[in-house]
Amino acid sequence: MSEKLTVKKQYEKYPNSLPFFIALFIGIVVLYLLTDYICTFKGMSEMGWVLAKNAINGILHPNVDKLFSLDESCVPYLLAETFSIAFLGTLVGAILALPFAFFSSRNITNNVCAYTGLTIISILRGFPTVLYGIIFVKIVGTGPFAGVLTMSISSMGMLTKLLIEAIEDVDKGVIEALDASGCTTFQKVRYGIIPQLSSNILSTIIYRLDINVKNATVLGLCAAGGIGAELIFSIGGRRWNDCGAYLLGLVILVLVLEFVSTKIRRKLATGE
Amino acid sequence: MLKDLLHVFVPDTHTLSNGKKVKEKFNNTPYIIIFLILLIVVCAVFTDVDFIKFFKRFTKGWTFVVRMLHPQWSYWDTAKQAMIDTIIISLVGTAFGSLIALPMSFYLSSNFKLNKAYLAVHRSFLSIFRTLPTLVYALLLSLVIGYGTTAGTLATAIFTYTVAVKMLYENIETVNMGAYEALESTGASRAKCMIKAIFPQIKAFYLSTVLYCFEMNIRSAAILGYVGAGGIGVRLNDTIGNMDYEKTGLLVLVLIIVVVIVETTSREIRKKLVNG
Repeated sequence: MSEKLTVKKQYEKYPNSLPFFIALFIGIVVLYLLTDYICTFKGMSEMGWVLAKNAINGILHPNVDKLFSLDESCVPYLLAETFSIAFLGTLVGAILALPFAFFSSRNITNNVCAYTGLTIISILRGFPTVLYGIIFVKIVGTGPFAGVLTMSISSMGMLTKLLIEAIEDVDKGVIEALDASGCTTFQKVRYGIIPQLSSNILSTIIYRLDINVKNATVLGLCAAGGIGAELIFSIGGRRWNDCGAYLLGLVILVLVLEFVSTKIRRKLATGE
Repeated sequence: MLKDLLHVFVPDTHTLSNGKKVKEKFNNTPYIIIFLILLIVVCAVFTDVDFIKFFKRFTKGWTFVVRMLHPQWSYWDTAKQAMIDTIIISLVGTAFGSLIALPMSFYLSSNFKLNKAYLAVHRSFLSIFRTLPTLVYALLLSLVIGYGTTAGTLATAIFTYTVAVKMLYENIETVNMGAYEALESTGASRAKCMIKAIFPQIKAFYLSTVLYCFEMNIRSAAILGYVGAGGIGVRLNDTIGNMDYEKTGLLVLVLIIVVVIVETTSREIRKKLVNG
């Protein structure tokens, strides 16, 4: 006990940071090599600067006609269509995801079922959205309905994953208590499981709706409706003022939805 | 009958034995349900939903799927090269985005009392930029700096930055400031305090955020290439355009395998990071 605490002794206990710096150095070298491999960039051309200048200028001066007129190629109509696609897509996706999630939850079915379900979900999630879009456009033709189908399939994967987490968190004690008081199966589901899950499920669905509206632009790549196609065409055709209008509309829609969904989800989580 | 319906919507008033009137609690659930049903109907009309048509014409997409299920293996070399490009684009983009996000997130979290006006402006800019999908960045950048992998990498980096910085500063705002104050009282500089007192607390979260972003970027890589920003998406676009669906099948197979591997690994690592 006679050891005295000296500054020198404490200083020697200071953690050795050499391995960290070696790792950092290797990381930087690897990053440099990869960047060197991937970057084919040889400086901006004259054309590029002009384009960039025009683009920024145009996007900052959105086309007011496009922004407010109610025509089919104008912002309000396209935004309504985008929202409808995302809303219905999320809804159908949730309806598809619910039985799937119950099927692949470990506390409801056995491990084999759970792993099969999870593998199918992983494959569905890995499949690119654009390809779903192409397949559905081939089936039902171009237009927003193909977008709804694409959205529902592509949001099904993530919804299932989040729902499984919610279902696996269910408190079994409540169900046992209801069992002890002589409830029927229906009553157990109604008063034991649904109240525990409903707020979680709703909040997951609203969260996914947010993401779907943000991702709806992708549907434009395969002519499946929404604001995406017009946005992509306006960028391709260098109509920067129109592009600015579409982007402004999209930003406003996403921000408003984000605000509303955060409010609802907070209410669902805390009950206030 | 009508009366029964009415008291679903309007709360009843009961008269107690002492003559006092009591109103039931207002319940807004029926209104929400009616609103949702109306919304669904309006949206369905707006998007021409027609499931009968879908089931009738279901076989139309079948040839496409069947041809994709028979991948053409001679295309393997191109597919492999495209996939490697995609992985490197995602890696480099995620690395740059998250490396810039780390110091910036310190400047954007409100618990260091740095410049408030700057914080508000930068945060609102970020939330505007976050609403734009990667696709838009990729389109604009590939027009301006030329089609190719550079545009894809830059778009990925910007997207990663906007997402990672928000997650990080929200996490930094919840850390324990005691260690920071202790170091500050010994006279250490602000940067040193941040590195020694705050960073160890958010290290695990930072790594898990980076992994999460990498996962997302690999997933969106197919779309990036679709607009000409390099990687596997370019090949996807080509093969679909040329109706070489067998080649598309191989590309998709490779993509799915990589996505599943990345996702599984990253989930395991993140679980370890969070639980310590």
